[in-house]
Amino acid sequence: MSRLKDFSNVFAVMSNEFRILKRNRSAILISLVVIPFFFTASLGAGRGGEGETYSVTATLPIAFIDNDLSEASGRLYETLVRSDDFSMLIQGYREETALETLGKGGIYAAIVVPQGFQQRLLNNETGIIIVHVDDGSPGVDDAVLSNIEASLKNFNPNPRIQQTGNIEFAGVEILMKGASFSGFAIGLTITLTMVVVFATFYEIAGGMSRESETGTYAHLLVSPVSLGSIMIGKTLYDVCLNIMRTFIVLGLAVYVYGASIHANLLSLVLSTLFIAILTMGFGFLVSSFGVGVRAVVIIEFFLILFLFAFSGFFIDKELLRGISQTIATILPWAYGIDILKRTILIGQPLMNLTYQLQIIAISIMLFYGVAYLLLRLSRERLIK
Amino acid sequence: MSENAISIKELTKNFGNFTAVDSVNLDIQEGQLFGLLGPNGAGKTTLVRMLCTLLEPSAGTANIAGYDIRSNAAEVRKRIGVVSDGVSLYRDLTVEENLKLFSTLYDLPNRIAKDRMQNLLDMFNFKEKSKRLVGELSSGWMKKAMIITALIHDPEIIFLDEVTTGLDPQSALALREFTRNLCDEGVTVIWTTHYMTEPEMICDTVGIIFEGRLIQIGTPKQLRRSVAEQSVLEIETPNLDNTTLKKIENIGNICKVTYDDPTLKASCVDEGETEIEESVTKILLDSGARIRSINTKEPTLEEAFISLTGGEEEIDRFMEKSRRKA
Repeated sequence: MSRLKDFSNVFAVMSNEFRILKRNRSAILISLVVIPFFFTASLGAGRGGEGETYSVTATLPIAFIDNDLSEASGRLYETLVRSDDFSMLIQGYREETALETLGKGGIYAAIVVPQGFQQRLLNNETGIIIVHVDDGSPGVDDAVLSNIEASLKNFNPNPRIQQTGNIEFAGVEILMKGASFSGFAIGLTITLTMVVVFATFYEIAGGMSRESETGTYAHLLVSPVSLGSIMIGKTLYDVCLNIMRTFIVLGLAVYVYGASIHANLLSLVLSTLFIAILTMGFGFLVSSFGVGVRAVVIIEFFLILFLFAFSGFFIDKELLRGISQTIATILPWAYGIDILKRTILIGQPLMNLTYQLQIIAISIMLFYGVAYLLLRLSRERLIK
Repeated sequence: MSENAISIKELTKNFGNFTAVDSVNLDIQEGQLFGLLGPNGAGKTTLVRMLCTLLEPSAGTANIAGYDIRSNAAEVRKRIGVVSDGVSLYRDLTVEENLKLFSTLYDLPNRIAKDRMQNLLDMFNFKEKSKRLVGELSSGWMKKAMIITALIHDPEIIFLDEVTTGLDPQSALALREFTRNLCDEGVTVIWTTHYMTEPEMICDTVGIIFEGRLIQIGTPKQLRRSVAEQSVLEIETPNLDNTTLKKIENIGNICKVTYDDPTLKASCVDEGETEIEESVTKILLDSGARIRSINTKEPTLEEAFISLTGGEEEIDRFMEKSRRKA
């Protein structure tokens, strides 16, 4: 009976949020029109930047699989390792194992030298190497390719093999394996994340602060509704809004700007919701400190700034270095963005992303748990 | 339900080093209209907020309708209604929508909620105003809407914290009458105010709170008596002779007679004041004295309050301290 009552209270809180939204036309306009349109339009305007490459691959673990076991392939390995771009080139992987490991976080690319590599060079033919990249790390393919190309300029496979001059890069051709993505497709993940984080954080943290300042939060607290029901009710309301927002952004991206999306729609919506619920948890956590609406806006801008810098918005998190990579590793949004990228760009099923999902789930529980405790233990912060 | 609707034991609330409520002990009986009187910042609202489970006490506890505010807060909330400055309605919703929301949260069956809503709206003359957004209502109507919402679940105890502040005199009067009727129906009311005249008009019992301490509890009359036993009869009568003065002094029940031409002051016990006034007037008229005016001056609750809290200087010092804290 008590559970049923809690459920009814959750529904009452959620319906109440919708009723308030319905009355507040400017909130509808900002939440469901201005924010999605603004970011998606910025994405459209930024199409000129597609195809941009990254140059930092030195810290990425990359497998080197030598199936030729020749002098030429050995020199190729030495050339790559001596360059500053491939200091984490790992030997000893079997090709099948390397391909399985790709995308699970162990290695980000695999350079395969096939059998007959030296023989082709000796026959004055183009030697071929194959580079497999992690489809879910869209910045990596361009970075690996451009750095191999640069290193091959110093490659001399054997003093007996003369460079023919009409073959580029010392007579070696690189075959890239794996999906290649436009900057626009990558930008869509950024746009969706921005829209979700920007709107969701304000709706939860700003909403709680407003309720605290106007005294409606205190009114809920003197009624029999539990804190858990208030939090779940507000979460469900915002989940509904985020589903709407996701469809608006995708609709604009696909029908107005011609983006191509490989993802299953359900996986995509769920990926967006992971980021949204994570942000809601953080919103509750921030509001539990009793901050005002103005402080919420300031914190929101810092959050966005942090996400821009450290969570793989523009520079893939694998390509970050030093302290920025450490921050990216502990920032749960980075894993959410990773899930979203893999879902949008290559349609990777969520079942294959258990590591990222676990981190998101733990972070959500942590945010909600701490927020719940703080809201319970220090009620006076939210009572004006 | 227990005989005492509210039973408070050593209730204390500290905010850092500041003690807002200091070891308050109090019992309020069922159906009583209890007035909590004190200046701004005295600790009235903090006390009410602890009783309605909004704030966690630092020490002590209280039983509300038989339930402990610490261990049984959910049960307490089902049985109370709160009208206070820090507790508001949703301004973006209509009065009716607010009432529907809270009747759902209080688990009222639809039909009962609808009937009760209609009765309360009619009682407060809301009519078409119930369909207006709360944010569009004047402060008086907003306060009435708050009271209706606090009553929607038929609470056993209702906290009315500074409810008449900002109300026009007619609305304040109507609200006082309404509250009195509520008590007559068995509802226990805690009425906090800093207006000294209000508790005298409606409250059965008054508690004076100052600097977080409950310094005196009693009926309004008991509180007045605690600072001045007698009422003072003041008569303006010039050129009074000593013989007449002696006759007045010999009237039974008169404690003290002073004469400072033209003012004659006679202190007398409250119960016999009418008879004494008649006797003094008769002596004066018989002696041919001229009477310009007659006044009976009674001690007021305000005087009692000032006296109990340490005089006007002490209140000024406290108010200054409160202002600085704010």
